[in-house]
Amino acid sequence: MVKQSAAKPSVTKTPITKQPLRLLMDFDAQIQRDDQQAPDFIHRRDRKCALSGEEHNSPSGPAHWLAWLGRFDNSSDQSSGPGQSTEQHWQRINSGFIALGAVLGIITMTGLLFYDGGQRINVTVIIGFVALQLLFALLTSLQSVVGWQPWRPLLNRVVPAPAPALQPLQPALMARAAQGGGLSFAVAALLTLLAMVVTQDLAFGWSTTLNTAASGYHQLTSALATPWAWLWPAAVPDLALVDATRFFRAGTNTALTPARWGQWWPFISMLWLVWVVLPRLLLRLLASALVRLRARKLLLCHPGLRALRERMATPVLDTGAGRNDANDLPDTRYNTLLQPLPEKAHLLSWAGAGTVNDKQASPSVLSAICLGPALNVGGLASLGQDQQAIAQLTASSDAVTAIVLVRSWEPPTGELLDFLTSARQSWPVGSRVCLLPLEATTRSPSATALQPWLRFAERCSPGFVTVGDIVISTELAQS
Amino acid sequence: MNQAPVFAVVGHPNKGKSSIVATLSQNDAIAIALEPGTTRRSHAYPLQVDGQVLYTLVDTPGFQRPRRVLEWLEAHSVSASDRAAAVAAFVTQHRGNPQFSDECELLTPLIEGAGIIYVVDGSVPYNPQHEAEMTILRWTGRPSLALINSIGDENYGDTWQAALGQFFQIVRTFDAVRAPFEQHLSLLRAFGQLEPAWENPLKAATGFLDRQRQQRRQHAATLIAQTLQQMMGYRHSRSLAEDLTASASSQNKDALASELRKSWYQHQRQREQQLRGDIQQLYQHDQLQRQEAKLEWQSEHDLFSEGSRQLWGANKGYLAGVGFGAGAVGGVGIDALTLGASFGTGALIGGIVGAAGSYFYGDRLPLPTLKIGPLRDGVKTASFGPVPDTQFGYVVLGRALNHWWQVSHRNHAGRTALALATTDSHWLEGLPKQDRNILHRALEKARKGKAPGPNDPHKLGQAITRAMETYNEWQLKNL
Repeated sequence: MVKQSAAKPSVTKTPITKQPLRLLMDFDAQIQRDDQQAPDFIHRRDRKCALSGEEHNSPSGPAHWLAWLGRFDNSSDQSSGPGQSTEQHWQRINSGFIALGAVLGIITMTGLLFYDGGQRINVTVIIGFVALQLLFALLTSLQSVVGWQPWRPLLNRVVPAPAPALQPLQPALMARAAQGGGLSFAVAALLTLLAMVVTQDLAFGWSTTLNTAASGYHQLTSALATPWAWLWPAAVPDLALVDATRFFRAGTNTALTPARWGQWWPFISMLWLVWVVLPRLLLRLLASALVRLRARKLLLCHPGLRALRERMATPVLDTGAGRNDANDLPDTRYNTLLQPLPEKAHLLSWAGAGTVNDKQASPSVLSAICLGPALNVGGLASLGQDQQAIAQLTASSDAVTAIVLVRSWEPPTGELLDFLTSARQSWPVGSRVCLLPLEATTRSPSATALQPWLRFAERCSPGFVTVGDIVISTELAQS
Repeated sequence: MNQAPVFAVVGHPNKGKSSIVATLSQNDAIAIALEPGTTRRSHAYPLQVDGQVLYTLVDTPGFQRPRRVLEWLEAHSVSASDRAAAVAAFVTQHRGNPQFSDECELLTPLIEGAGIIYVVDGSVPYNPQHEAEMTILRWTGRPSLALINSIGDENYGDTWQAALGQFFQIVRTFDAVRAPFEQHLSLLRAFGQLEPAWENPLKAATGFLDRQRQQRRQHAATLIAQTLQQMMGYRHSRSLAEDLTASASSQNKDALASELRKSWYQHQRQREQQLRGDIQQLYQHDQLQRQEAKLEWQSEHDLFSEGSRQLWGANKGYLAGVGFGAGAVGGVGIDALTLGASFGTGALIGGIVGAAGSYFYGDRLPLPTLKIGPLRDGVKTASFGPVPDTQFGYVVLGRALNHWWQVSHRNHAGRTALALATTDSHWLEGLPKQDRNILHRALEKARKGKAPGPNDPHKLGQAITRAMETYNEWQLKNL
């Protein structure tokens, strides 16, 4: 098989390594564009791409295909395209979530740590808030895995409707943005906490309406602090601190050294870092991985990829159908009509028409018209015999009138034209030839079979050749 | 390097040489007419695979003056060994001579090494008068094959076969207009038998052509599947102006419904015509004229008329069957929810409900109705469609398969308009049950506007491919 070399430039300019999302979007957009192209063209193009890849031993994946298609693109902005545009859309959404998360993080933490010098900051509330954050983070991821999109109507108002290829990816993309916002929220809140710890005198304590002993509460805080207990023991509140910092709204705990109220901050900071920031970070990374994984999977399942591979693997077959001369037909108009046979005429048989070898012998009506037996011309007769027949008739009378029997289904050829031209030149002025097309069966020739003969008679010398019809002659004789 | 074989298609004028070439090169734009001299120049039609020529067919003009050529050859030949050289010398001597332009055109490929494909018309009686041209061909010394084509309805094939066997290595019968595709391949393989070196290229070529036909069938199935889904799910919508919304009288609604209905119908017709064009282009029938009742609703060929439904639609029994299958699939969900405690009752109930629904709709073709949506963003939207039941899909599918079958079985030599005739029995009964269910579910899904799953288009394409096989068998059985 001939392998065609790719048209220059063969070196790809577009980076082959693309983000799966961008690759998916670029691929999908190209497939959409190809829908507008002629199927033959895209088959030839993609087959050529495959042959070029084979020639250069390069892989034939979608990324290389796109790079091959874009090799003539002189645009310096290689990052342009639907994939880039989609990425930019989502970058804007991600940035919006991050900014919103940061603002909300600062406000939330400031609210949580609001301390007017009277009431203590309740650690129980902070633990509850941390649990809520963790629950939200997990729900966000779960929702993306399940594919639930409660925010979809809102999103549709903000960003243009996604391409069909991107729709199954929406939950994962949205989860990535939400986890990014959550991470921003968590980090901003942690920084706010640390800033407030440094700049303010915060008094933490714990309180609950439930009849809980300090030991029970201590067990809870110890369990929560397990992840960092080995790293920073000071951030694990001891039983004494727990016991000492319980407060009741209805009473006062003035016996405690004021510094003890502030000793909760390492625990609070680590609690936030480990149970809010880290889960958000992990889930954000997981969401990014999920986006890449799903984009890759969608690309592999893309119906366009199946068709592309088929086109690349299928040789281009050109059957020679490119030439078009459908409109280059000969002029089939004619003005000549069928004529009655002459009353008396010499009989010639062209290429065996009407002879005993033929299916239909010479019509009986001719016996009354013809002056003698038919002379064989054309076909198996030699050119010399043709000339002899012409000469024989020249000698027999002044102006020759001849009937030439022809087979209606054998179209007139150059040889018949030559014969008639030669006869006209040899015979006296006023000579006439009547062509009589015979049908293979006993029927009369069809109009379709007679038309080429009428046109042929028109092309011969004017007035010399006519096309006769037995039916007309018979009708005339009867009338 | 071995040169690709060339075959010159030669013969008497008007014996179907161009028809043979048109069919084998799948080119319906070659000028064909019942007029001698339609082909005035030789034209090459190479079959190329990925740019490599496997063989070339050369369409040539017919012999005009064979006796004169033979006379010249005999006058310039001394012995049998110089006959081929004499033919070459004739062409050299007479090139540019208008009297022998046709002979030079047809002999040139032969003296350049082409094989001879001599075409005669087997529907007219054998004529020994053509021996001069057969002798000239024998003088070229090229391998030869005689082809008995049939232009008319009579059959004189046997006498031609016996006579041609004396002059040619191989004699084959081939109806350029009606021969099925398998005969095309068989004929090409016979071309390969003329010389040992030609066997492999012709074998490879027939392999490629065979694969191309299979791929075309698959591609056609994909095109039909896409059209079906789009037509089934098509909804024509329009935003309503404030004044119309305000005065939503029944008269206005009727006018609106009429306007939307008209646009909806027009779109469906255009989509169907687009499919027709795509299928014809796929099979390289670019010049084809079609005679088909349009997708009309209001005329006697009304898509929803009783006659049309009986012709292409599914009958009540069929719909009840596939309705049961589709309903049972839904009912299995109930069984799954009850962890099997319902002992399959869900599937049974689902099946019965599905069957009842389909049976109910089986004997009528309801039209879509006008729907006016709620006020949203200050705008109301009126919509028309999609169709309320799947019967529409079966009618569109039946018409599409009928067109595909006619086009795929049509030879490129055909010049009559394609008549998409109607039939009196139903093909769907032969479709395997599994494919019926896939088809029905896909139509239902499209009708309800549900997005197809990633594998759904492929599955539907495969089901339609099998429907094509079923339809083909059904048509051949009817013939």
